[in-house]
Amino acid sequence: MRSSDRLVTRIVRRSGPWLGVLAVTSVTGALAQLALPFVLGRTVDDLVSAAPSRGMWLGACVAIVVAAVACDALGVWATGACSARASEWLRHLTVRHVLGAGPALNRRFSEGELATRAGVNAEEAGRAPETLVTGAALVIPTAGGLVALTLIDPWLTLTLAVGLVVIVLVLRAFLRVSTTLAGGYQEAQGDIAVRLIDALAGARTIAAAGTLAEEKARVLAPLPRMRAHAMEMWRANARAGVQAGVVVPLLEVAVLGVGGIRLASGDLSAGELYSAARYVVLGAGLGSALGYVGRLARARAAAGRIAELLSEPVRTYGRRSLPPGPGRLELRGVTAGGLSGVDLTVPGGCAVAVVGRSGAGKSVLAALAGRLTDPSGGEVLLDGVALPELSREALGGAVGYAFERPVLIGETVADALGLGLPEPGPARPPGSPETPQSPERLETLRAAARAACADAFVRRLPAGYGTPLADAPMSGGERQRLGLARAFAHGRRLLVLDDATSSLDTLTERRVSEALTGELGGRTRLIVTHRAATAAAADRVIWLEDGRVRGYDRHRALWDDPRYRAVFQAADRTGAP
Amino acid sequence: MNRPVRRALRRDPRLLVRLGLWSVLESVPALVIGLAVARAIDDGFAAGRPVTGLAWLALLGGAWLVAALGARQVILAVAAIVEPFREDLLSRVVEGALDRSAAPGPGTESSAVARSNLQVELARDALASVITVVRSFVFTAVSVLLGLMTLIPQVLVLVLPPFVAGLVLFLLSLPALARRQRAFLLADERTAESVTAVAGGLRDIAACAAEDRVAAAVGRRVREQAGAGRALARVTAARTLSLAVGGWSPVVLVLAGAPWLLSEGAGAGVILGALVYVTQSLAPALGNLVEGLGVSGVRLWVSLDRIEESARSGEGLPRAAGSRLPATGGGAELRGVTFAYGPHAEPVVAGLDLSVPDGDHLAVVGPSGIGKSTLAGLVAGVLRPDAGEVLVAGVPADRLDPAERVLIPQEAYVFRGSLMENLTYLVQAGAQEADETAVDEAVAAVGLTGLVERLGGYRAEICSSLLSPGERQLVALARAYLTPARLIVLDEATCHLDPVAEARAEKAFARRGGTLLVIAHRPASALRARRVLVMDGTRVRLGTHEELLSSSPLYADLVGRWDPRTASAEAPSGDRPDVPSGHVA
Repeated sequence: MRSSDRLVTRIVRRSGPWLGVLAVTSVTGALAQLALPFVLGRTVDDLVSAAPSRGMWLGACVAIVVAAVACDALGVWATGACSARASEWLRHLTVRHVLGAGPALNRRFSEGELATRAGVNAEEAGRAPETLVTGAALVIPTAGGLVALTLIDPWLTLTLAVGLVVIVLVLRAFLRVSTTLAGGYQEAQGDIAVRLIDALAGARTIAAAGTLAEEKARVLAPLPRMRAHAMEMWRANARAGVQAGVVVPLLEVAVLGVGGIRLASGDLSAGELYSAARYVVLGAGLGSALGYVGRLARARAAAGRIAELLSEPVRTYGRRSLPPGPGRLELRGVTAGGLSGVDLTVPGGCAVAVVGRSGAGKSVLAALAGRLTDPSGGEVLLDGVALPELSREALGGAVGYAFERPVLIGETVADALGLGLPEPGPARPPGSPETPQSPERLETLRAAARAACADAFVRRLPAGYGTPLADAPMSGGERQRLGLARAFAHGRRLLVLDDATSSLDTLTERRVSEALTGELGGRTRLIVTHRAATAAAADRVIWLEDGRVRGYDRHRALWDDPRYRAVFQAADRTGAP
Repeated sequence: MNRPVRRALRRDPRLLVRLGLWSVLESVPALVIGLAVARAIDDGFAAGRPVTGLAWLALLGGAWLVAALGARQVILAVAAIVEPFREDLLSRVVEGALDRSAAPGPGTESSAVARSNLQVELARDALASVITVVRSFVFTAVSVLLGLMTLIPQVLVLVLPPFVAGLVLFLLSLPALARRQRAFLLADERTAESVTAVAGGLRDIAACAAEDRVAAAVGRRVREQAGAGRALARVTAARTLSLAVGGWSPVVLVLAGAPWLLSEGAGAGVILGALVYVTQSLAPALGNLVEGLGVSGVRLWVSLDRIEESARSGEGLPRAAGSRLPATGGGAELRGVTFAYGPHAEPVVAGLDLSVPDGDHLAVVGPSGIGKSTLAGLVAGVLRPDAGEVLVAGVPADRLDPAERVLIPQEAYVFRGSLMENLTYLVQAGAQEADETAVDEAVAAVGLTGLVERLGGYRAEICSSLLSPGERQLVALARAYLTPARLIVLDEATCHLDPVAEARAEKAFARRGGTLLVIAHRPASALRARRVLVMDGTRVRLGTHEELLSSSPLYADLVGRWDPRTASAEAPSGDRPDVPSGHVA
């Protein structure tokens, strides 16, 4: 059994009692639909017959109509409830798994890919149980319609079969046309988007030049071209839709004609003729039944993509908390993603710079230090405890990370800074309004922001620390400063700065450095950098080359080595445009 | 929210007439289907006259072909209504985004634009579907009623009341249904947003040990969405019942009333014809209406809300007050100027007094984010002070004729078009065809000649992605150089140039004459200026380079940091030109 099918089976089991309701109503409803034309025809025949047994057939009609309607309504309810439940379970599962697996996932899946799998795919796969049941039940009226038609008269079935082939051919022809036409439309759409993005980037120029009206016209210039393509698509749509739409009625007319002749010759009653016409319509529904096969295939493919995600291992945590200590970091024989056999000890409270050409393994080392990634060999210890033995809380409270491009998560600036810090009250979803912050907590955050030179610019935002992130567009430097502030608020024992000051101007960078040696000086600091000045200011420098520690000493001592000096020149060259 | 729809429907009344006429053709089968079946059976097949029966069926087949013709034209007529509607919405999105980005405060992210575009497409499809089903319902219902009347008028007593009752039931349930559907769509969007945020922030979530909290937060969204889905399922089930009343009870009533109809002279064919009318035309039309209004109608409502929301935030922004005024003097004058980015924000500039005489060359220095760009925006008139006044060339800066001053920001604007169009962007208003020698001169002055040659002349088509950030800045500089403006504000406009190119451009502007305000990206700009303004917090200090070296520790610090020896040891190009850095402004 494939993993996608196993997952679909699990989803089906998790769908709850509503799936059973859906199965019962679908089958009952389908049977009622199938019976109705026959019973209606018989009722009419009975009514016009010489000896009407009126009550019985009419009663049957009413019963079947009521059953069909009740099943329909209940089925709609069950469909919604069952896919809501299945999607909910699946979404919880994927989101928790994605979070549990952590950043290691990014090595296999891009962000967009992850978002699609945990979002749209979960939704699609959640519909699998419902699609399975509804699609299976749809076979009853369509196949049953054909059988009933054959029972009434085999010639009528033959007429129908020929017609169905025509429908399928027409629909296939339409698919070919529409894909080629969509290209031109999308191209015009893209042109407008490019023009708009250019104009948005030049917003200040436009505002100062007072040319807003001209810019609007310029951005919208491709509209006529876009309309031409759109109308082309509508025309193709109209042609195919009309062709497909006329086939079933014409088939019905043909069946009525053939059936009428049989009626005239006495082989068919008027009621049977009516039933036959209805069975044509039911039988032509095979097209939509085929649509369910497509939907099921999509749900199955989605389940496969989620199963792939779920097969990624989840990180586990220990139960230990951290003993008192200065924040001594040890790497023993560590091998991981490009690094091999690294043995290092960073004394507690020290500032250590990490330098090396790009690809030397600097970021891997930074990720190892706070267990953003686990080594494939060797171990990493903080104050003598191997990192995997620590509980998540102990690790999170001890280590703070700042990145070159921090991603800020939360509703407001204060939320983003305090992400993951213990806080009173229930969790709020990202995006919910009103985020009360206790005064002490806010003060902690502000102190961290001050150290990161972020306090001043945050206070100038429209609502200060309460400004929604969406309303606070930030430059790379401002984002970095918030990322630093977040790290300062978190890492009580170890701070890891992975190229986290690269977008700051020299003065701000120096002020941050002063804070790092001043008020934050008690914490161990691991600073990935490609600036010589930063390396010079650190207590020691880890010089990485090709995944190995090439040197571990003071900057001044290493500076004599021309290859060490070359590291900085290379960094600057790659930094230039 | 109905305004765009109303505009779309009223734009061209002839379109509606056309739509109506073709709809009549499209609903011909609904008019004749029951009649044709009844006559074919009663007068034809059952009466032993198969030819008559076939003739009636041929009439029905013909009606279907005519309807196909009508249906095709209906689709095109609907398209002719909804395509201008889409353009209308798209224009609003584009204009809203541009208005917002031109105003102070948060601009529009390109991802937001992409989202709005998606909403526009959804709204168009939804409107097309709503127009189609509502129109089809009206024409079908009328046709069926006319057909039934022709067949046997008495049957209307059996069909009409339950049909109307079902319709009323549905219309009564519509508001509740619309609310549920909307709640579901919104919950769905919110879940998608938070899942996307998680996918993009895994590293940062792990670094903050916030997995549990984030999982709980997203979990709440997921539960809300599932709840909305269940609530929607309940009202949808109720909606299905109203459909049953309107669509199925006429069938039962026709059968129950059949003996009466037969006694009124109807044959078996007439009873069957009435059934065909109801099951084949009326019930499907009602079903489509219910589906179309309940789903597409709500989709339209939500999408329009979204679009209006994003477009509305572009309105009501401070626009230039009053008409534009010509210059009455020179230089710039700031008196007690205070500016903040919101009522609850701390001011970026507070009580600033500054006088820049005509022909001055002033450099502004200070750490990033301190408000230098805000000052540039105030002088250029794109920001309006909360208190105090900014006079440029003797008139309020925001009312000065834009041709009198030029602001070149850090992010140079290059648009899709020829190089010449890009260079003459700011002079086109006055001189239609810019003098090519003047262009040559400007190009040579700022150091753009190399690029012009590489591109193969002024006719070359360019776009922003074709040029490097430094090249884009050179284009913007040449553009500013070409204008007759007396005041030039360079807001880190040379940050992507190397120091030599930067010096060349700045010197060209100094030679050009007029007032020059340079927001310095590198301290070297201060050395070239006549006077320097140092900004630190809301405090400012004005003086010459020498004066400030001794009086401002911050300035000494800034310029001292720019020691050519350490600067070159650290970065040969003098800075990090690839690093994006901007301001709150």
